Amino acid sequence: MSVTDPNAAPMRETAFSVRTRRWRELSATILSNPTTVIGLVIIVALLAMAVFAPWLASPNTPDPYQMPRDWGAVRMPPGTPGHVLGTTNQGGDVFYGVVWGSRTSLQLSIVVVSVTVCIGIAIGSIAGLVGGWVDEALMRIVDVFLSIPELIFALAVAAILGPSFSNIILSLCIVFWVKYARIMRAQIILVRQADYVKAATVIGDSKFNIFRRDILPNAVTPIAVQATLDMGNIVLVGATLSFIGLSESGIAEWGVLVSEGQAGIASGRWWASTFPGLMIFLWALAFNLVGDGLRDALDPRTEGR
Amino acid sequence: MNVKVDTDGTVAHQDDAGDVLLSVRNLRKYFPIKDGVLQNVVGHVKAVDGVSFDIRRGETVGLVGESGCGKSTLSGCVSGLTDPTGGSVHFNTRGRGSAHGPLDEGDRIDRMDRATFAKYRRNVQMVFQDNFASLNPRQLVVDIVGRPLRVHGIASGTALQEKVVELLEQVGLGRQHLYRYPHQFSGGQRQRISIARALALDPELIVLDEPTSALDVSVQAQILNLLNDLQAERHLAYLFITHDLSVVRHMADRTITMYLGKVVEEGPTQDLFETPEHPYTKVLLAAKPDLDDDPDVPIQTLAGSIPDPARPPSGCRFHTRCPVATSTCGWEIDDIVRELETREDLFDKLVGVDRKSDLEATLTFSDSAAAHAVWEAIRSDSVPETMRDAIETLDVRDGALMVRFAKPSAIELREVGTGHRAACILAGE
Repeated sequence: MSVTDPNAAPMRETAFSVRTRRWRELSATILSNPTTVIGLVIIVALLAMAVFAPWLASPNTPDPYQMPRDWGAVRMPPGTPGHVLGTTNQGGDVFYGVVWGSRTSLQLSIVVVSVTVCIGIAIGSIAGLVGGWVDEALMRIVDVFLSIPELIFALAVAAILGPSFSNIILSLCIVFWVKYARIMRAQIILVRQADYVKAATVIGDSKFNIFRRDILPNAVTPIAVQATLDMGNIVLVGATLSFIGLSESGIAEWGVLVSEGQAGIASGRWWASTFPGLMIFLWALAFNLVGDGLRDALDPRTEGR
Repeated sequence: MNVKVDTDGTVAHQDDAGDVLLSVRNLRKYFPIKDGVLQNVVGHVKAVDGVSFDIRRGETVGLVGESGCGKSTLSGCVSGLTDPTGGSVHFNTRGRGSAHGPLDEGDRIDRMDRATFAKYRRNVQMVFQDNFASLNPRQLVVDIVGRPLRVHGIASGTALQEKVVELLEQVGLGRQHLYRYPHQFSGGQRQRISIARALALDPELIVLDEPTSALDVSVQAQILNLLNDLQAERHLAYLFITHDLSVVRHMADRTITMYLGKVVEEGPTQDLFETPEHPYTKVLLAAKPDLDDDPDVPIQTLAGSIPDPARPPSGCRFHTRCPVATSTCGWEIDDIVRELETREDLFDKLVGVDRKSDLEATLTFSDSAAAHAVWEAIRSDSVPETMRDAIETLDVRDGALMVRFAKPSAIELREVGTGHRAACILAGE
């Protein structure tokens, strides 16, 4: 077969090879954006830190997510032997908090984003597909949620549930699904009117299959972008809640560490807050960079044309 | 062809001119207009308002009319995408070569049992105007064209793939296109993919909703030829919806002209083009640019815009724009209001319209001078003469204008030739 004919398909072309090629093309688009690559590098580095935490800082016993206490070395500056990034007022090793805090933050982001995306897609799809009073009722609930600032709402819920890290996750899940529900509903209403949906109906496919094959795949792109951006934002909000004391104290979590260290800033002990704060900043920045890159790569105006 | 609908809705055939595949009877589709916080229904857009016609096996029926006349709504009802507000669609699900029997209640698509409805689904397919929007951008051609086969359990695996190749070859594409996405094709090729998908279930009727309107002229011709070839091979019936009269003339055996949700004329394409009986069809034909036309003579066009389908004109719906309207074509109070709308100075002074019926009302003005001016205007040449002739009484008193129109003639489709019917009181004269 002539290699020069661009229209000739390779003989062994299969659905699988075409689909993987599409993914390769998409990844190439994403990776051609330098800021996206920077974001990806940061994310990979932070993920590696979470995975290799036990090797970077030997786990505290019995609970590795509790800060170790070295009462013999409180308020030590960075560079102290055994405490590279210094210690807190309670003798907690800042380096330990930074390393193990990546696990708690990762847990927070992944749990909250996946739960809220699922709830949002479900509620938004029901509202968009069923319509009528169901849609009205769901969207009024969404309006009520959106009328309260996210942070204050999450704060109120977390305060009611009582201070603990898992309650912060729960409160963020309760608050953050509304945005996805709204995006999803708008997308569903847009996509369900497409001619290919009508074509599938005329073919005689079931409503469920039409939703699964035609509506959902064409509706979720903005959700994917929003979810990526929220991976970073959720950590910020979670850290804020921890910071104002809605998490257990003593837990190895960046927001808690910033909170517990801030008292020392005025006395010149900047390190206890700064290093965990820097991690929060990097994490949020990285996901925002990737989210922006993903949005550009998935833009329907440029995608595949 | 005379088809009567009995009171119980049975469709009785008095004339076996052909093998009826689809019957549409008195079909209506109204879309509610909602307003206000509570979304109260304040009126209805009558997109399709009492349409009846038949399609026989192997026949192409052309449906023409301006945009907004209800063509696409009608196509949605025929292909089962839209539930009609009233009336019925009947489809002969007995299959090719079945003895021709009248279509009855059992053939109503909204009353079919599951199995019969599945047969209807398989036998009525559709091709859309927008060749890009009608193909799922995330599916490969093999999945798009093979989907109907998979859904109806006709083929799977390698057999499915071979069937898809066969279908693609029938529309002028081939095996090399199996694993491509829709965006990798040209408009004409995408329309071929749509046609292949429509053919997959070997249907008896394909609804073509402006299939060539979005294509280049040279590509249009290719698609039309393809459709003609497929029809000859497979004995397909087409409902061809378009606003392009040249296409209809080329394709259709019979043509239906629609205006504002109603059929105004139907007949064999040749008769309709050579001896159009309804003034609207005449205007449409005159507005069609032709290579033989003298380029210096302006093309005859229709005055005014299409009236609001939420309040269609009574009588003949075309009377407001008809060049040959008579005094009995359906002039009514709304026509006075429409005339007033063109006279801003007077329209601003109109305070209220107190209707006793569509034909009788009292119009109140803020000052008697305005009422008098309107009275003067109606009596003078500033309104259509035929409208003036239709007014039975016209009285002005203290800023109130009383108008009553004469009862218009009933306007129905009537025979003007063999199988040629027009809804105009002048038709056949």
